[in-house]
Amino acid sequence: MSKHSQAHPAHLQHHFVDSDQQFDAAKMGMWVFIVNEILFFGGLFCAYIVFRAWYPDLFTQAATELNTVWGAINTLVLIGSSLTVAMAIRSAQKNQTKGLKINLLITIALACVFLLIKYFEYSHKLHIGIWPGVENYTYEGIDHPLAHVFFSIYYVMTGIHAIHIIVGIGLMIWIYIRAKRNEFGSEYYTPVEMVGLYWHLVDVIWIFLFPLLYLIE
Amino acid sequence: MSEHNHEHHVSSAGQLWAIGIALTILTIITVGLSYVEIPAPFDVITALTIAFGKAFLVCAFFMNLYWDTKFNSMLLIGAFAFFILMVAITLLDTLYRNDIVPSF
Amino acid sequence: MATAEVSNKKTLKVQRFKPSDNPTNTYLTDEKGIWAWMTTVDHKKIGIMYLVSVAIFFAVGGALALLLRTELLTPAKTFIEADAYNQLFTLHGAIMVFFVLVPSIPAALGNFIMPMQLGAKDVAFPKLNLASFYIYVAGAIFTFIALAQNGLDTGWTFYTPYSTQSTTSVIWVTMGVFILGFSSILTGTNFITTIHKMRAPGITWGKLPLNVWALYATSIIQVLATPVLAITVLLLTMEKWLGFGIFDPAIGGDPVLFQHFFWFYSHPAVYIMIVPGFGIISEVISTFSKKTVFGYWAIALSSLAIAFIGFLVWGHHMFTSGQSAVATTVFSFLTFLVGIPTGIKIFNWIATLYKGSIKMDTPMIYVFIFLFLFSIGGFTGIMLGALSVDIHLHDTYYVVAHFHYVMMGGTLIALLAGLHFWWPKMTGKLYNERLAKIASVFIFVGFNVTFLPQFVMGAQGMPRRYYNYVDQFTAFHQTSTIGSYLLGVGFLIILYYLMHSLFKGAKSPANPWGSRGLEWQATSPPDFHNFDHTPVVINGPYDYHKPMEEFQLGLAVDQNGHDPESTKQIVDEERDSWKNYSLG
Repeated sequence: MSKHSQAHPAHLQHHFVDSDQQFDAAKMGMWVFIVNEILFFGGLFCAYIVFRAWYPDLFTQAATELNTVWGAINTLVLIGSSLTVAMAIRSAQKNQTKGLKINLLITIALACVFLLIKYFEYSHKLHIGIWPGVENYTYEGIDHPLAHVFFSIYYVMTGIHAIHIIVGIGLMIWIYIRAKRNEFGSEYYTPVEMVGLYWHLVDVIWIFLFPLLYLIE
Repeated sequence: MSEHNHEHHVSSAGQLWAIGIALTILTIITVGLSYVEIPAPFDVITALTIAFGKAFLVCAFFMNLYWDTKFNSMLLIGAFAFFILMVAITLLDTLYRNDIVPSF
Repeated sequence: MATAEVSNKKTLKVQRFKPSDNPTNTYLTDEKGIWAWMTTVDHKKIGIMYLVSVAIFFAVGGALALLLRTELLTPAKTFIEADAYNQLFTLHGAIMVFFVLVPSIPAALGNFIMPMQLGAKDVAFPKLNLASFYIYVAGAIFTFIALAQNGLDTGWTFYTPYSTQSTTSVIWVTMGVFILGFSSILTGTNFITTIHKMRAPGITWGKLPLNVWALYATSIIQVLATPVLAITVLLLTMEKWLGFGIFDPAIGGDPVLFQHFFWFYSHPAVYIMIVPGFGIISEVISTFSKKTVFGYWAIALSSLAIAFIGFLVWGHHMFTSGQSAVATTVFSFLTFLVGIPTGIKIFNWIATLYKGSIKMDTPMIYVFIFLFLFSIGGFTGIMLGALSVDIHLHDTYYVVAHFHYVMMGGTLIALLAGLHFWWPKMTGKLYNERLAKIASVFIFVGFNVTFLPQFVMGAQGMPRRYYNYVDQFTAFHQTSTIGSYLLGVGFLIILYYLMHSLFKGAKSPANPWGSRGLEWQATSPPDFHNFDHTPVVINGPYDYHKPMEEFQLGLAVDQNGHDPESTKQIVDEERDSWKNYSLG
């Protein structure tokens, strides 16, 4: 069996030949997962497109209930969090653990701001009777018999997106904990990169959700 | 073991901030345009074009596809292509329910 | 020794590593005990666990089928109530599709064999592989909870509006399917990355076994299609629970839209089921003809073509649903297209047999059975793709016969071929060849007796999923039922001799079939790490005209002045397929 002149780096898994192969494999795996996510949300976007093509007036009317300002703020919040997570990866690449931790914390904070704003949006809607699904929908303010359909689509798209944000926050907390244990540096920062890719995906989805839901006038 | 065969791209802080600012500006533009009366379907087309621009910036320069192996970009484009196929063929049904021959 | 790259050529020192016929340490002996199995990240053990699960689900689904067929012996009630009958065919379909056919070949045989065919130690993400298995189990648990509650009577296709109105446990099953989908997605992700990144030196894309090409195409389909299924069942759950109004016409939805969403996954799903089977056929047919597969690139690329075109034809399940005329026409045309790459494969396989040295061992018998049954299934699929014909045949037994010919006559027979082919590799044991041949006769005869009459009665108008029927169909149904019992006997024989081989079977040499496949150049059963060296591949996967020694090469080990046996030049066609190695 071959003997190695240098010790196996701790992060290198036994079935990989070297760190590069492991990193490239992880990155490719992550992109394949992103393909899967695109088709997952794609199904929802497809439902949106079909119904909007059928009932354009419903969409223009119902979208007035969505607050453009808060949606725009949320968009900027997510863009900011994408920036900070990219900075976090950069810090890891440059062996700056402190920068890594700070940027991760800011990203998590911005993600929480996003969720907070969504919480206010949702609770306002629920308060005035805009519930997902016809069973509980009681709002009278939209003069269209299919108003509940628009809001069902709205809730499921933004809701699944919000679940992805929550998962992302969990992942970033886990990465933060590992960063605190000094597990990452220029030699190995793969998990940071992977979580970063996931987070950017969540941002990209919102980049499309925002104009399609909030900016229909 | 072996040496690093290729360097991982490290963006400068300036580059990342530039992309972030560009994204912010595009967001402001798209919100602003939503208050302008644009006849359908161009309002949707404009909004989606800007959205694609933003998505491109995020994918190319935040997700580093610009410096990555081409295969990963192919994955992204391929996924999107299949999404378009799903929507387009479904619309072939949902938009033409009443037309025996769709009016061209 | 480490080499310098000179333009595109690499030179590696290699030596021969002949696999021992009497391995002392194998993957079975190195990790022992229940806990070791349950926490293993070894792809081989995970493959075995999938295989056992698939076998159990197949037994359950098969028992349901026998119950159904027994009920259909007489036109009216035989011994089952109508409502129970609906539940039986629903569960038979759901179990067979989701828990047997979709995972069977990729997750069971693919997991075990594919990394070995690549000369890798494992898949790219071994822990994810184990997670995939447990997600599969979780999905199964949800589904079986539904059984214990109110069952399911919507048909495995869950069409709205009945599925939103049914009082059966639709949501438990849809959640089970949702969870199960992730198992499929993660396996696909793992396989794509493995095939790209974990190939041994010398394995370029042009030297990949066709089995690997098939699994690659399958994985692409899995990753692209399954998320849409996930969204579909999620939306169905919301529709049922909250009244979304997307699918239910009473509250503003469109039931045909559900069918679009459902079949966008479920049609590619049938290619997930069959394409790995195609891969197995290529492996077995070349080994037992001692000949290279005719038209390597045609078969390799046709798998990708099927994967692509297969995404465009889903509406052929919906010709009578009320979708627009323009959509039906487009779907019908594309459906004819998708038969072409499959036809190419069949012709190429037959050409492979020509002037080959055919050995009719059990795996090869199943290959012939496959060619016969799958061709019938494929043809009848094309017939169903003709719009005017489908108007009459949709929702009749013709469709039932068609899909059983392709799914059972295709995928399951290919699975049996692969199982018998790789059984010595996985277990190190040989099964009783005579009993195996007898079982194959029961399977072949039983299958045709069961399903051929169904084509005829479907064409005469017998609807599918019907509990009652008019008297003109009685003889057909009874013949079909007798066939199903013959099938059952065949499978019981298989179960018997395979179990017997595990405990009392003859020991197998490393390569009982004389195959040139890389997986056969390891011991049977393989080592924990598959190979105790890094394999180096210099020939095509089916170069039977080359001597066996050339398939057993590995990176030379430089220990205490041992000289490697020979030096060969390796052409580096793709840079990323391997790395520089430094030894010593």
